[in-house]
Amino acid sequence: MTTTATTTTAQAGGQRSTPLLEVDGLTVRYETLRGDVRAIEDVSFAVGDGESLGLVGESGCGKSSVALSLLGLLPKNARVDAGEIRLQGQDLLRLPESQMRKHRWNDIAMVFQGAMNAWNPVYTIFTQIEEALTIHQRGSMTRSEARRRVGDLFELVGLDAQMMDRYPHELSGGMRQRAVIAMALSCDPKVIIADEPTTALDVIVQDRILRQLKRIQSELGMSIIYISHDIAVIAEVADRLAVMYAGGIAEIGASHTVFGHPRHPYSWSLLTSTPSIKGPLRTLSPLAGEPPDLHDPPAGCPFHPRCPMATDRCAAEKPPLELLSSAQASACWYADQVPDPREQEVLR
Amino acid sequence: MSPPLLKLYELQKHYPLDKGILRKPSRFVHAVDGIDLDIGRGESVGLVGESGCGKTTVGRMLTLLAEPTNGSVAIRSDQLPDHDLTDLDKQDVNRLRRDVQMIFQDPYESLNPRRTIIDAVTEPLRLQDLGSREEQQERGAEMLRLVGLAPPETFAYRFPHELSGGQRQRVAIARALVINPSFVVCDEPTSMLDVSIRISIMQLMRDLAERLGVSYLYITHDLGVARYMCDRIAVMYLGKVVEVARTEDLLANPRHPYTQALVSAVPVPDPTYERPVPDIKGGVSRPVNPAPTCRFIDRCPWADHTCESNDHPPLEQVTSDHRVACYHAR
Repeated sequence: MTTTATTTTAQAGGQRSTPLLEVDGLTVRYETLRGDVRAIEDVSFAVGDGESLGLVGESGCGKSSVALSLLGLLPKNARVDAGEIRLQGQDLLRLPESQMRKHRWNDIAMVFQGAMNAWNPVYTIFTQIEEALTIHQRGSMTRSEARRRVGDLFELVGLDAQMMDRYPHELSGGMRQRAVIAMALSCDPKVIIADEPTTALDVIVQDRILRQLKRIQSELGMSIIYISHDIAVIAEVADRLAVMYAGGIAEIGASHTVFGHPRHPYSWSLLTSTPSIKGPLRTLSPLAGEPPDLHDPPAGCPFHPRCPMATDRCAAEKPPLELLSSAQASACWYADQVPDPREQEVLR
Repeated sequence: MSPPLLKLYELQKHYPLDKGILRKPSRFVHAVDGIDLDIGRGESVGLVGESGCGKTTVGRMLTLLAEPTNGSVAIRSDQLPDHDLTDLDKQDVNRLRRDVQMIFQDPYESLNPRRTIIDAVTEPLRLQDLGSREEQQERGAEMLRLVGLAPPETFAYRFPHELSGGQRQRVAIARALVINPSFVVCDEPTSMLDVSIRISIMQLMRDLAERLGVSYLYITHDLGVARYMCDRIAVMYLGKVVEVARTEDLLANPRHPYTQALVSAVPVPDPTYERPVPDIKGGVSRPVNPAPTCRFIDRCPWADHTCESNDHPPLEQVTSDHRVACYHAR
């Protein structure tokens, strides 16, 4: 595949201009005692200015490894075998750690999953955000400047400024998650990676936090990469989405297009196995089997052992990610035969 | 209509906050504060609400894992004549355990890591001393087949860590159903599973309920899952049931302001759908010695003098199958 072709699938459904962030052919494996694990295989996607991209998939699909690669925080046993991660044209993967540190948090920040574990219980929230500010911002900030900055950030995420002097355990789950977002925003990043930002929260709190993130994004104009297992959350927050399976991208495109008619049987099955409370209740289609063991991934298409549409060809040849339109690309030999999810039988 | 299998009457559970040896506790968390609910034979009733609303405590009381502070639970058991769960001697408790079982959220923690799968599944038979060892093994194998772990020989002598999360939850289901209970409390049984696995577990549970005539109390925070699993849904808020209705009716026409907020907060997997902003203030508090007003008063968009000067409103019928606890429900 030529470089230009890769760039186009990476941009499916997105902006045509030079993207802010490009992941190009990223391939990462983990060395383990049981042998190598192919965590990410030839993943390419681009994120434009002010755009939000959703990475969706089940546990072990590689979505969190992609996030760690973007931040240069892969564990020691990880090996990047191929690919580039370009931020405004500069390859971050080839940077020495001292250089990478300047980009981390200043340019790419992360909203961590599980608001409790992201905090050190023995320091106040302010102390911890101040630390991030002083480590990553060149030139030292005075204490009162830092307090003013954190106060502004708290207002932005909908927290009372007095909360900054509290300890993590004194805040509710929703408040802690807001504070995590404030910390991610502290150095005015260009890109925020939100890894399951609302997973442990109740729906009403989740709703507020997602709305707040969308509002902040439209005010400040940064790009957000949402990572989630919940396709309904992605439908609400992401302009575009990439569906990941077994370390690779199964389908990528504009949310409206992919949700309207997915062109990969795995995205189809994610959509038809998510019960919605709106519209008619349709038959849910369970997926047979379990996700593959990435120590020993199946030959051909990684999804073929579980795919209801699989043929001999799928077991033998791996389908490339190919553009179906400017708004959608799918890695399936039979992309045009994937059924319309609205054809699922109505139960009641 | 046939009489209900279970009848919860003014069920209460209060936990003391300031426990002392000499001091009588003065502050109580009203985890469950007077619940009336019927569950029919073969019926699946969903109990939904945010964390801390008391839904798990209800489940624990029904499975005799927590003792109610007040109120009663009547069960029409095959094992015992009509009986009050809250007033049992040890022997009765043991016999009732044959009728009431539980499936927990975390299949990683609910199975003993050092016991084989067949051991786990047949344990209730051994505790109840039902059948010979051969009969128990046979019944265990039959259950494994029934929950889709077939052929049973390939799973029976494995240990929990050798199974995937979905397979472990199947083992938990087999164990809960092995002694033919008439009632199973399911506490978020699919919330730890990946979406593609979740549906097959949900379908299995529905399937078995139909085949075996089991009733479920299905505790969940996920209204989408409840829509699929439950005939009726009861919504809890700070220890009270604020609305009960048939599932489709509750989701399409929620009457209580809390249910309305809850329903409108659920993300919809359709990017063209413009979800309304939930009309609710503040966050969940803890029901510690709650004031004699409506429980929802601090967060309610409709709250007025009536809600403040009266006790928490009783559940009142709005249509034949729909009850709401709100002075202003329309």
